[in-house]
This record gives sequence, C-alpha cells and structure tokens, in this order.
Amino acid sequence: MSEFKRIRRMAARIRRERLFGVRMNIMLPILLLFLPGMAWGFSDPNIILPGGHQPSTAMEVLFYASLGVVFGATMCAVLLSFDGVSRDRASGMLEVRLAQPMPRNHQATALVLGYLQSILIPVYGLMVLCLVIVRIRMGEWTSLEETLVYFVSTGLILLWYTLFALLASTTAKEQGTAVAFGVGVWFFFTFLWALVTTMVAYASGVAVGEANDPTWVALEGALDLLSPNGVYHHLLETQLPTVDRGVAAWQTWAAAIAWTVLPWWALQRRMDALVP
Amino acid sequence: MAEAVLSFQGVQHRHKIPAPRWSKPWAHRLGPGIVDLNLKLYPGSILGLVGPNGAGKTTLLRMMAGILPLQTGTVMERIESEHWTEVEDLRTWVGHMPEQVRWQGRTTVRSILLELGEMRGAPARRIDSLLSLVGLQQRQDEQLDNLSQGMRQRLSIAAALLGSPKVLLLDEPFNGLDPVAAQAFTELIQRLANKGVSIVISSHMVAQLGGLIDRIGLIHRGQLLDEGPLQAVETRLALSGRYTVSGPGEVDLDACLKGIDYERIELMTNEEGWHLTFTGESKDVLQRLLSKDVVLSSWSPVAPNLVEWLCAATGMDVQDISLEVASSALLPMRTLEVGEDE
Repeated sequence: MSEFKRIRRMAARIRRERLFGVRMNIMLPILLLFLPGMAWGFSDPNIILPGGHQPSTAMEVLFYASLGVVFGATMCAVLLSFDGVSRDRASGMLEVRLAQPMPRNHQATALVLGYLQSILIPVYGLMVLCLVIVRIRMGEWTSLEETLVYFVSTGLILLWYTLFALLASTTAKEQGTAVAFGVGVWFFFTFLWALVTTMVAYASGVAVGEANDPTWVALEGALDLLSPNGVYHHLLETQLPTVDRGVAAWQTWAAAIAWTVLPWWALQRRMDALVP
Repeated sequence: MAEAVLSFQGVQHRHKIPAPRWSKPWAHRLGPGIVDLNLKLYPGSILGLVGPNGAGKTTLLRMMAGILPLQTGTVMERIESEHWTEVEDLRTWVGHMPEQVRWQGRTTVRSILLELGEMRGAPARRIDSLLSLVGLQQRQDEQLDNLSQGMRQRLSIAAALLGSPKVLLLDEPFNGLDPVAAQAFTELIQRLANKGVSIVISSHMVAQLGGLIDRIGLIHRGQLLDEGPLQAVETRLALSGRYTVSGPGEVDLDACLKGIDYERIELMTNEEGWHLTFTGESKDVLQRLLSKDVVLSSWSPVAPNLVEWLCAATGMDVQDISLEVASSALLPMRTLEVGEDE
C-alpha cells in the first residue's frame, strides 16, 4: 500500500468517525443556524444594516454571512478536533499508533486531513445551500471566481483552526487543557482581536472606530493580517471592489500561506517530538 | 541457543525534565531514563525484564519499539541477512504491547485492527488469523466499549502481532488479568516463542514470569545490571542452589546435619513446626534428615524474588533500593561478582 493511500485511508477513518459522531449531531443545528440562517437574513431585500448599508450583490451577502463561518464553523472545527491527539494519549492508543511503522509526519497529515474533512463536508454542503438561498432571494448567482474564493477561503480558515486545535492537543496532557487552549485561541481571535486592534490604534494615536478615517482603516486592515479571521475577511474582500483597506491581494494570499504553513510545520515538529 | 537477531549497543534515552530559569523559562535538563545499555535479543527466547517501579522498564521498551528516539548508541539487526546491519526503523521489526491501553469507542474489534493493520501495511487476511490466535474471533464485531479487561489485553497483543513482528515487546502484560486469562496468555506467549518470535516481557512481578522466561534482565535506575540465561544469572548472583525444607514438631537440626556441607540462610520455628532455608548439597541434607527419621512436610528449591534479585545485583539492601527508586538521581552502577564485597 502506498504511503499516500495509507494517509488517505487513515484520514477517511477519522472523517467517518467524526462525521457520524455525537458531537456532529450537536453541532449541525448550530451550523444550520449560522450558515444558511445568516445567508437567509442578509439576503432579505429589505434589510438595512447598521450605518444604513444595504447589501447589493450576492457576494456581498455571502461576505456578511461569512460571520456564521467565523462564529459557528470555526468553533465547530475546534470542538471536533481539540482531542485529536490528547484523547489517544489518555487512552494509551497514541503509544499503539506511534509504534506502527508509519512516519509520524504522515500520521500528522492524516490527522489534519481527517479532522478538516469532517468539518469541511457539512460546512461546504451548507455553503452550497447558502448560494441557492441567495439565488432565490436575490435572483443572482455569484460568479465562478467569487464562488471559488468563497469556498477556498472558508476551507483555509477551517484548516487553520483545525491546526490550532490539533497543535494544542499534542501539547496538552489531558482533555481540559486541550479544550481550554483550542477554545481560548478561537475566543481570542474571534472576540478579543477587536480589543487588540483598538489598543494598538490607541497607542499609535489613531482615532479608534472612525470608519471614514483612512488611517484607522489602514491600521485595522494591516493588523487583520495577524489574525486568521482577519485574513479570511481580507480573502473575501478581494471579491468586493468597493472595499479597500489598503492591503493588496498578494499580501492577503501571502498571509494566508503563512497561516497555513507555520502551524502545519509546528504540528509536524510536535508530532516528531511526541512522547506517549 | 540461536544467534542474536537484534543488538542494542550503548543506547541511551533520558527524559527531558523542565528546568525553567529566569533567562530561559523553557529550559530542560536530562532526567532519568535509560543509560548506556547493551542488550541482544535471540529468536525464540523469552526475556523477562525485571525491575522495581521507576527502574526504566517502560522507557526501555518504548526505545526498543522505536517510539522514543535513541540519544546515543546504535541498533543492529541480523534478521534478513547473515550480516549485522544498522536498523533504520525499529518499528518494522517490532510489535509493541503497551502497559495499559483503554480500547474505547464505538469502533469494533475488527475495525480497529484493520486500521492499525493499514498503518503497518499488514494484509487484511492477517486479521482473521490473529483474531483466531488471541481468541477474539467470536467478538470481532463487538464494540470496544463492551470488551472486558481480559479481552482488551488480548486485543492489545493482537495489535502488537500485526505485521508478523520478529520481536514482541510486552509491557506488564499480566496486569488486570485473572488467573485463567493469565494462564491462557502465558500459553499464547509460549506458542509465539516456539514460532521463533523473540519476546521481551517487562514486569515487577517476578513470580508471574516463573516458568515462562528463559532469560532475565535486571534493570534498576535506568541501567541493565545483569542479563543472560536465567540459570547463569542466578549462579552469577549466588541465588541458585537454595532450598527450603519444613516439617512438624521440634527437631535439633544442628545435631542432625552435623558434618554436612550446607549453609543455613534462615530457620523459623513455630507451634506447627520448623522451616529451614539453606544453600549447599541438597541431596546430602535430604538423605541425612530421612536417615534420622525426621518427618518432612515440604521440600522445594527456592526461586529468588524481585528484591533478592535486585539486592544481589546491586549489592544494596532493600531499604537502600526502595529509597533509590524514589530518587531521580542517576548514578553509575555495576554488577557485583560472586564473592565480591560491596
């Protein structure tokens, strides 16, 4: 059996186990509420957003609905994979797995792929539903490029949170630490990042929260590259010509690559040094 | 005795222990582990790795299983050819049964073995023969959550046997097994050894290894104090040739055994009778007692226990050994020869 096939099979087992597990049953209603629910709400022709703004294109609706991904899907990714390694460590299975002649970096890759697929499959399914909802409500499909960016960037943000959670799981000696670390990272980037941005802006003498102040907008845009959620929104904004926060598309994609490569590399290193 | 198939030469793995400083909060220092160990494994032999808690048995087995990296030393194999070649990945040859695996979840016995088999590259048809070998064929569709402790141990050994390993490492395999399961397990291990598998069993219960192992390795404070065929090590450590004899009533043993070449180790007397432990010419002692019409109720050779093994190998007394177990210090030790003072 080739190594690639081994990785694929191991990933498929994890995917199956998680996709049809109890946790997914709990999370599916949350995902349903956050993804198609938000697409339904933001595609209302009569919606007026704070500031008097009204979404005018299908991509704009999906951009606003992506809040559901940031708040719901990423949390589900963390809750699915926070014990990806620590559970096996606690049960003694990690020692059994590490004793098998499959390279540890391949085992790590299979873990990432398995857990990513288990969250990606329901999320992608619901995203297709979002596209249909927007089409029905607004009479407009997103273009192929927009759809591609929408799906790829969502896949990337879920990958990043899966990597964070698995990384935490390799470090944690018990489940509590693993979940605290995973949820903590999610909480920090989802809720506390705005505070970080505000503090940096305040320290830099930039007027905080002035949407029309170009200095504030530029600072917020730049700082968002340091947050996975920020990069996700930057990626989606590449398809919104009306939005310009002073960050070029290449910078956004470079940040996305960095957010992918660095945690992945860290996870591989952790797996290499892992002791049962 | 067949020639060795696997040789560990000067291998070492010491655990990294956090030792934070102000200037370097993430600093680590080397703690206990396995130090400069040499060991050879022979096909068809059963090596009992014996030592107290914290001696380094599990660390050594994990090193031998390729789970912990070697910090120094090399491992050579002579499994596939006549010549010694350096081993790149021990996991190819070695099957490892960890001390405690809580097989849990809704996965079935068969599925988990298939999964591990895929990781090892073992063909699916091997699963059936393994299930049959460990007696889990009737339970192959059982969920892991529903397995008893004995079945979990059987599953652990089935997992270790995936890929037909040449060396099988069993870490405290008798833990949690009832006498019937332990007997079945012992027979299984013997069958595997008869097939030429080299087996290493770690245990702090020497009595359970009696009659099963043919080689013994005494491990203490991360060092292999002595290793070799059971009889040879017993002789080296002056633990062989000990007997116990007992009988009812009161007997003047000194008078009875006058002129016999024997050394009394212990004589206990109570209301029920007497109990003598000695070394020396057992045949002469027995003949003399019978000729003097002394009534005997038991007569048997004495197998050394873990404490005796370790005391003999280290030259320390039991108090010192137990204190050393609690210590994480690593000091060089060596095997004391017969008749050598501490």
